[in-house]
Amino acid sequence: MIYRENGQFKTSYGADQQIFPIAQDRWAVLAIIAFAFIGVPLLADEYMFRAILIPFLILSLAALGVNLLVGYCGQITLGAGAFMAIGAYAAYNFLIRIDGMPLLGALILGGLTSAAMGILFGIPSLRVRGLYLAVATLAAQFFWDWAFLRIKWFTNDSSSGSVSVSNLDFFGWTIDAPAEKYLFCLGMLVVFGLLAKNMTRASIGRQWMAIRDMDVAAEVIGIRPMWAKLSAFAVSSFFVGVAGAMWGFVHLGSWEPAAFSVDRSFQLLFMVIIGGLGSIVGSFFGAAFIVILPIFLNQMLPALGGLFGVSISTAAVSHAELIIFGVLIVFFLIVEPHGLARLWATSKEKLRLWPFPH
Amino acid sequence: MAFFLETLIGGLMAGMLYALVALGFVLIFKASGVFNFAQGAMVLFAALAMARFSEWFNAALGGDSLLLANILAFIASGGVMFVVAWVIERLALRNLVNQEGATLLMATLGITYVLEGVGQTIFGSEIYAIDVGMPKEPVMMFENLFEGGILINKEDFIAALIAAALVAGLSLFFQKTSTGRALRAVADDHQAALSIGIPLNRIWVIVWCVAGIVALVAGIIWGSKLGVQFSLATVALRALPVVILGGLTSVPGAIIGGLIIGVGEKLSEVYLGPYVGGGIEIWFAYMLALVFLLFRPQGLFGEKIIDRV
Amino acid sequence: MSKQIGDVILDLQNISLRFGGVKALTDISFNVREHEVRAIIGPNGAGKSSMLNVINGVYHPQDGKIFFRGEERKAMQPHMAAAQGIARTFQNIALFKGMSVLDNIMTGRNLQMKSNLLMQALWWGPARNEELKHRARVEEIIDFLEIQHIRKTPVGRLPYGLQKRVDLGRALAMEPKILLLDEPMAGMNVEEKQDMCRFILDVNDQFGTTIVLIEHDMGVVMDISDRVVVLDYGKKIGDGIPDEVRSSPEVIKAYLGAGH
Repeated sequence: MIYRENGQFKTSYGADQQIFPIAQDRWAVLAIIAFAFIGVPLLADEYMFRAILIPFLILSLAALGVNLLVGYCGQITLGAGAFMAIGAYAAYNFLIRIDGMPLLGALILGGLTSAAMGILFGIPSLRVRGLYLAVATLAAQFFWDWAFLRIKWFTNDSSSGSVSVSNLDFFGWTIDAPAEKYLFCLGMLVVFGLLAKNMTRASIGRQWMAIRDMDVAAEVIGIRPMWAKLSAFAVSSFFVGVAGAMWGFVHLGSWEPAAFSVDRSFQLLFMVIIGGLGSIVGSFFGAAFIVILPIFLNQMLPALGGLFGVSISTAAVSHAELIIFGVLIVFFLIVEPHGLARLWATSKEKLRLWPFPH
Repeated sequence: MAFFLETLIGGLMAGMLYALVALGFVLIFKASGVFNFAQGAMVLFAALAMARFSEWFNAALGGDSLLLANILAFIASGGVMFVVAWVIERLALRNLVNQEGATLLMATLGITYVLEGVGQTIFGSEIYAIDVGMPKEPVMMFENLFEGGILINKEDFIAALIAAALVAGLSLFFQKTSTGRALRAVADDHQAALSIGIPLNRIWVIVWCVAGIVALVAGIIWGSKLGVQFSLATVALRALPVVILGGLTSVPGAIIGGLIIGVGEKLSEVYLGPYVGGGIEIWFAYMLALVFLLFRPQGLFGEKIIDRV
Repeated sequence: MSKQIGDVILDLQNISLRFGGVKALTDISFNVREHEVRAIIGPNGAGKSSMLNVINGVYHPQDGKIFFRGEERKAMQPHMAAAQGIARTFQNIALFKGMSVLDNIMTGRNLQMKSNLLMQALWWGPARNEELKHRARVEEIIDFLEIQHIRKTPVGRLPYGLQKRVDLGRALAMEPKILLLDEPMAGMNVEEKQDMCRFILDVNDQFGTTIVLIEHDMGVVMDISDRVVVLDYGKKIGDGIPDEVRSSPEVIKAYLGAGH
């Protein structure tokens, strides 16, 4: 009864094309954002920030980037981790090699470097698709894994191979405490989320989706496949690169190439599958799910075992985690290929008609 | 010269093993259009089963006959792979018929995780040895041709022979038996095959079983060489460029692709590696495949795909 | 109804197209005049769709010349043909299934949209205005095709007849000089066919769009087209106004077999 659009008439196309055409949605989203900025910092403790909230925000950003490429443009990637790494190492090098480089500048430049590499490794997409493209992106993954491990220039000749960033300074605001890191990440995510949403509802987003749904027809109505695909690779890699830089700078502080291995790439892909391909909000759902599930299992399984008097080792928990992940992925692909976002949309649809479904 | 040949032969041997894993990919892709990312996990699963069964049977037999224990273990592992194939077909593939290639690829990624988790839960996650009595000592060959001769690993040699025999056997199976003919029919056109009464689901189970057996053989060879451990699962990632190079639908392509990649990796590592810091064999194969993709997307022996409007 | 048929806008000379050893088109010449409705007919496998694919640059003929508005066309990609004002619809509907009707038709406006990526990401000033301007134009097409009620529906959920209409709408959104229609009425019932005929004639009439059309329904072809080309086994066997073609012995032979 509460959630309906009766009486909300649009008198201009502008009003009809806003992000949330239904007033209740607008208020709800504003309330959630306000709560995230004001309420959460008051309520959460340090563990929540470090283990759940900050990883969730940064991985959401990365998943958003992957979703633009995989979900909107239909180009599969198994190399997202490498682009996180490129963003992180590029930002690191810009920060330490250029005096007075501001934090935001380094993050953006890291993202741009990643975007340039995204274009380079996206070139095969002009010739091949599907799993052949997956192989091309894997090539990026393995090449950059190797490069950041073996080419010492990237890590500023650090002897251990790990690099670290401290004293994050955002226009005079020192980002230090977990709550501050959280707020910084949240701010970035809101801005990038908005950018992504705008692109997907504009001409460029339609070009991506057209290429995804039917590339021959897209070309026939005048979409240049090269521009559409490479721009998707660039924008996606930019998002992922910025997320990578934030993962290194804000979340980890110091990191090694292993932080961005092929497992990270798979993880990001799963986020968008489970969350929902071709859905902005789905990226957030997917990231939340993948961040929280292992923590949940780690807490739950030993407790569950305790109930039956069985002690469950950490190895067993990690195996169980693998199994549950795998089963969930297959389950989602079979039952709901559009992921959590579709479930969300369906329930909203139902709610709109409730209590008079016919 | 002798050193170059040694490297070359070493590469060919390694390539034969890649070819074995790639063969698993090709078999499943040909018959069901699924690019089976889980092939590596299947190798791990099969090798774990083989290692542990052999250990258990050996203990049960009182350590008298390693050969008998190994034969029993092979049969048991084969049975396990059959069950795996059946479960995968029943629970996953059957429900994903007619989905896009990318969806299927992601589904097999999920299957990979499940297999890794289940395999390690049942069989443990330590490093295990498989001892099938392969000779370990290297032999010198061609001493009369080259000064100092060429050092060849007997184990590699036998492994290559087994792989070759397997490939020959599979080719015969595909060409000469009625099941093989049905398999090829299914590969060509699912619906047409279905309409003349070929049981699609049973065919898929058979294909996955065959791929499972191939995985078992690959697992035994790799396992007896390097020990059975989790890193075996990543063998799929190493063999991926092989199928791209050879063409996804071609059995000979898998073999030749495997050999090219094996040789390329070894040669690049030995002759190029020192200049760029080593460890390049991991991405070298991918770059080779990538360059190849740009010029001949269907691979060396794959079928050309023509889009129709 | 008297309409002004203009000069030759598209001229195809001695077009031959081969796929490996298979000859899809052999030495075909014909032209299309401005504002006319030009039909291409022929039995299955005659090369009609290949002909359209040659015109809009999907296939590249081995021999022959194509003149578009008096200029010879060089190597051509489909998106370049689109930029020149050649639009088409598809025999097997090729809509973007995951997108709404509105978005599908909006993609047709893509060529006219000029704002850059950054502007679009910011949804800022010019980009927003451009979006709204084209939305207004697309709404006119939606009105014209009488599909207002489904504008927000994903096209995958629509029945066949409506999908065909959306396909036409997407092509119209390009404001093409020439509109290529590949069996626009295949699989429709009589009423849907009547609707579609009306839309085609209206487009031709109101917007002055030149139309090249492939159709199997002879009644429709004879009724709405100004001139007809007949293909058989990749060769041209007839060309002229509907009445001429209908009485041509060769055409009758191709359709009914030699015995009649």
